[in-house]
Amino acid sequence: MPHLDILKAAASSNQWMAIYPELLLGSLALVLLALEIILPKKQHAVIPSVAIIGQIGVLIWLAFNFHTVFLKPEHAYTFSGLLHHSEVGQFMRVFFLLASILVCVLGTIALAKQKMPRIEFFHIVLVVSAAMMLLAQSNNFILLFVALETVTVGFYILVSYFRTNPLSLEAGLKYLIMGALSSGLLLFGIVLLYGVAGNPTLPGSSANPMDFTALHTFLLANPNNFLASIGIVLVLSGVAFKIGAVPFQIWIPDVYQGAPTPVTAFLAVASKAAGFSLLLILTQNVFTPYEKLTTPVLAIMAAATILFGNLAALTQHNVKRLIGLSGVSHAGYLLIGVVAAGSQPLAIGAIYFYLFAYLLASFAVFGVMTHVAGGDDADQDLAHYSDLAKTHPFLGAVLAIGLGSLAGIPPLAGFMGKLLIFVAAFKAGLHVLLVVAIVGVVISIYYYFGWIKAAFFETWRAPLLEGETDLRPMCTPVGIMAGVALAMLALATVVLGCYQGAFGDWLLALKF
Amino acid sequence: MADLIFYIFAAFTAGSALAVVLTKNTVAAALALLLCLVGVAGIFVLLDAFLLAALMVFVYAGAVVALFLFIVMLLDVQGGVRKPFKKATIVSSVFAFILLLLGLASFAHKGVQTTGDLGAAAPVGATLKSYGEQLFTTYLLPVQIVGFLLLIAMLGVIVLSKKFEGLEDIK
Repeated sequence: MPHLDILKAAASSNQWMAIYPELLLGSLALVLLALEIILPKKQHAVIPSVAIIGQIGVLIWLAFNFHTVFLKPEHAYTFSGLLHHSEVGQFMRVFFLLASILVCVLGTIALAKQKMPRIEFFHIVLVVSAAMMLLAQSNNFILLFVALETVTVGFYILVSYFRTNPLSLEAGLKYLIMGALSSGLLLFGIVLLYGVAGNPTLPGSSANPMDFTALHTFLLANPNNFLASIGIVLVLSGVAFKIGAVPFQIWIPDVYQGAPTPVTAFLAVASKAAGFSLLLILTQNVFTPYEKLTTPVLAIMAAATILFGNLAALTQHNVKRLIGLSGVSHAGYLLIGVVAAGSQPLAIGAIYFYLFAYLLASFAVFGVMTHVAGGDDADQDLAHYSDLAKTHPFLGAVLAIGLGSLAGIPPLAGFMGKLLIFVAAFKAGLHVLLVVAIVGVVISIYYYFGWIKAAFFETWRAPLLEGETDLRPMCTPVGIMAGVALAMLALATVVLGCYQGAFGDWLLALKF
Repeated sequence: MADLIFYIFAAFTAGSALAVVLTKNTVAAALALLLCLVGVAGIFVLLDAFLLAALMVFVYAGAVVALFLFIVMLLDVQGGVRKPFKKATIVSSVFAFILLLLGLASFAHKGVQTTGDLGAAAPVGATLKSYGEQLFTTYLLPVQIVGFLLLIAMLGVIVLSKKFEGLEDIK
């Protein structure tokens, strides 16, 4: 039976144990759907808690088995080379798991204000996070594309989830069209690379050019191929859409405003981090022979992204648009790190540190936003934050720490993140980019502090006439779970800013 | 001879794709899309990728476009009046068209590939048997992920379109 042998040989490389966190998340997602059928309607309120507690369980298991056998070089490639396991991949797994737990916590608060089906939200969040984990470990364009599409399709649904709000539906449609365009660009790039690297008359060609290792060998042997260059630029453009770098940032403000606040947080943090881990895999592992092409492209994009994001955020009054556009500028700072990583390995660790600090600070801010938001999720104005510090001192403090960290104020984690990236950029000799970045940081302080000012300082409001009620949305009381999560985020932001310790050492030593 | 047939199919595909965009009648656009997909299937046949050609006809031309037609006819959409283009749109599209032509010219000029006899290479995935074998051995993981993708897509359709009446009880 020769066929059976082939199957056995292939099955031996499909080591499912290597992806147990993803499998657990996928199974948990299915369990949620099953629970919805089995449990009586009155007990459906426990299902979100099952999702959150289950994920915390996966996180604990992942933390205790951080150094798996698959990190050793001889076991690093599984599933016939589709996946490449590394410490970076493990870090990103923890990152996405943290993000998805926090999105679920915020989701329970936001969904309570809407008449919406609940369980599907958590199911989709879990599947999307599992796909992101695979994305950060992919070593093959086929797996990359399939995982990326799973993430994107999940986001199409999540963005338009509050379908009774027309802005949410509009955001979903815009994200769908822009996402399809970016997938098209990415696919066209992949096809060009596949075609040219599969040409048997060229040196270094491969029968399996979708594989990153084979593609890298081909690019090394043909450092000036025209079609390969076009393919590389198109693939980078497709990824730039996901991270919202200029000139692919047009979708950001509308989609961020229309999407439910927890989804905005998920888009801002996890989707961006997935894009950057992909960008790092591509620029550090695969496209290295074409550095002369990728470095200037990314450097110009970084400068334009920082300036655009900060200048556009200056005039915003809707906090969701503001944080979306300021997120564009954060993508710019991270892109400087990617440019610097070509010559300074320190920059890789700096990017991951920055992403982690960004996760802590962003979820702190989004957590406060979820509490302050009213029934109309897209309408969250700066004016809604006046007197927040007086009426809700805890939320005010968390907001101040989160925004301070995003602005890069010492001694918060965001400051250390920016500092590390700037040091790496300085060592790599990117002086012009540094000047642009510092100008950007100065601009950003204006709008971040405008927000803090709105929350902390008295602003004059027309006194309420008799019979008139305050139109501003009521702030949701802080529950135990959300309170603990927000306090931990704020605490971690402060601690990580003052003392990085072994975590910082380990991150900065990360290599591809 | 094969070249000539390729050009005929390519012109046919591009022409019907243009018709999809230009026609105002939605039913005609859907039918033009059908022709476009048949043209693509023809090109796949020329490349000896018979399986892909068959799938193209079955799945896209057969199922997807038929669904489009159903929906278009159910909704009974009339081809509305198209707004006249703004000046800025015209200028920018002319600019984009010139860029596109330049891009195509650079492809034709610099992107020429010479290949040896590709017929000698073993075709991968051209026959149903080798295709299935790859799908369920080497690419088993992507197949599983696509399963989840389809699941969340299905859930999404339900969440975004179903009428929810019992939501008060859930609260």
